[in-house]
Amino acid sequence: MSLFLTLKVALRALIRNKVRSILTMLGIIIGIAAVIAVVAVGQGATVMIQEQISSMGDNILMIFPGSASSGGLHFGAGTRSTLTPQDAEAIMNECLYVKAVSPMVRAGGQVIYQDKNWSTSVNGVSPSYLEVRNWELKEGAFFTDSEVKAASKVCVIGATVAKELFDTESPVEKTIRIRNMPFKIIGVLVKKGSAAFGQDQDDTIIAPWSSVSRFLQRGSFNSVNQLLVSATSIKTIELAKTDITSILRQRHKLSEGTDDDFSIIDTAEITKAITATATTMTMLLAIIASISLLVGGIGIMNIMLVSVTERTREIGLRMAVGARSKDILLQFLVEAMVLAGIGGVFGIIIGGSTAEIVARYNDWPVLVSAQSTVIAFLFSAAVGIFFGFFPAWRASRLNPIEALRYE
Amino acid sequence: MLITLNKITKTYQVGEIEIPALRGVSLSIDRGEFVAIMGASGSGKTTLMNIIGVLDQPTAGQYLLEDKEITGLSRNALAQIRNKKIGFVFQSFNLLPRTSALENVELPLFYNSGINGDSLSGRQKKQKALEMLKRLGLSDRAYHHPSQLSGGQQQRVAIARALINQPPIILADEPTGNLDTKSSQEIMAVFDQFNKEGITIILITHESDIAKYARRLIHIRDGQLL
Repeated sequence: MSLFLTLKVALRALIRNKVRSILTMLGIIIGIAAVIAVVAVGQGATVMIQEQISSMGDNILMIFPGSASSGGLHFGAGTRSTLTPQDAEAIMNECLYVKAVSPMVRAGGQVIYQDKNWSTSVNGVSPSYLEVRNWELKEGAFFTDSEVKAASKVCVIGATVAKELFDTESPVEKTIRIRNMPFKIIGVLVKKGSAAFGQDQDDTIIAPWSSVSRFLQRGSFNSVNQLLVSATSIKTIELAKTDITSILRQRHKLSEGTDDDFSIIDTAEITKAITATATTMTMLLAIIASISLLVGGIGIMNIMLVSVTERTREIGLRMAVGARSKDILLQFLVEAMVLAGIGGVFGIIIGGSTAEIVARYNDWPVLVSAQSTVIAFLFSAAVGIFFGFFPAWRASRLNPIEALRYE
Repeated sequence: MLITLNKITKTYQVGEIEIPALRGVSLSIDRGEFVAIMGASGSGKTTLMNIIGVLDQPTAGQYLLEDKEITGLSRNALAQIRNKKIGFVFQSFNLLPRTSALENVELPLFYNSGINGDSLSGRQKKQKALEMLKRLGLSDRAYHHPSQLSGGQQQRVAIARALINQPPIILADEPTGNLDTKSSQEIMAVFDQFNKEGITIILITHESDIAKYARRLIHIRDGQLL
């Protein structure tokens, strides 16, 4: 019997028992929908986290000073001031795989403009900061190397600060006071949104590192809290890391065998760690969802066994007029697969729209990928084959004489 | 010879007990014969029919169909022989319920495609089935379901189904057992007609009225031919 005809016979048999077929499908629909929704939501969340991390900048390496130790007691990372602005220049000049470098001096404090005030962070950086962070100005200009050299009291403000202090007014050329130090605003950054872990990247003020160091921080003038390095591409991150390590060890005159007095973290590493966690969670939920698919499959097996028993005489007759075991096997197998397949299609539709709603509600990218849809459909067909095989096999092994006489 | 049975024995094993159904049956049927096999219930006539119809395999003995050995063939090979060589007509019609007469008649055609390269298109199959229904006077009933047909009409649909693959043999097991006298006569007339066209008819019955349509009578009792 041709496959097309077998399909037609199977469809007709299913239509004959509408309610039963729909209820059986429901098991598969719920199972597939659950798997699709969980995987899509999980993947969407992962992509969102990755996007947020990459919004910090492309291929970023963060270099922190090492931990201080005194009499065997180690303090935390960054407790020693081993990094200098000259280190930043050296890395830029000597390492081939580096696109841009900026030192970073962090401070924070109350910012005042006329009758408004706002508490925010102040980052002291070099002019290459925008390139490192892959950030742009909405209006005004960024400060230059000469302003860094002169430690001018100029700054560029983030979108959140601009909104809090100036609302709709243009902040450029206005003077604000940071910790009572007057700083002239020369530019406003475009909105970047929240980073991973939710902090607002636009709630910041950017100023020359020299000015922040001199006026807002009590630390020594020649040390920085952090170096931000942007590698030339994602592939060169590892090479850049190795180069930077040897450059810094040489500059810091560390002899062989001593520990680094700095540490390098790259965003790819963070992304990898978070992605791994999210993937594990998604897998776990998907496994739980698959259990309902399994239950749906058992439902199919159950109903197919009933169907084979009900149609024993029909099977006997088909055998008498020349159906081979293979024909009977295929007939019932196709019936189970059609049940599971139609269930799968509806499951994909329901699961996909659920994921879409969840994603829209949470402002996530929607990720019902073609790949996961195809996999889900093949999986539901496989459920049909797996759970349909035993009833179909039983039907194909019936003795035609007994089957014909079955009451 | 169309059919040659040589010392056919069939024994059923029920637990520890062996029940002999056929005890050394030898029989030859030639092409074009109209044979009635008669016997009381339990005489072994149904077992004999199952073996002739290759629905069942003998315990011992030899069965030659068109001079070819049948015993020992695979399930699939036997299915193909049933499809090509034998048309079955049952007492209870055995039509597929909720399926049109036309589709019931087409059914055997679905199981012989691609074997001898004689597979027909869907349209040709339908055409063939319609012609067969016409020959049995059921043109206007082609799209009726069995439940909408009288007993006699249902049995005629079953005969059309048995003949659709142009088998040399029709095997009818009590074909009139569920029919009234008038319908019975009609059905027997149909068999007579096809026999005259050269089809071998083997009829199993316990009614002598029906058996008299046959040109050769074979009596069976206790698993042996008389």
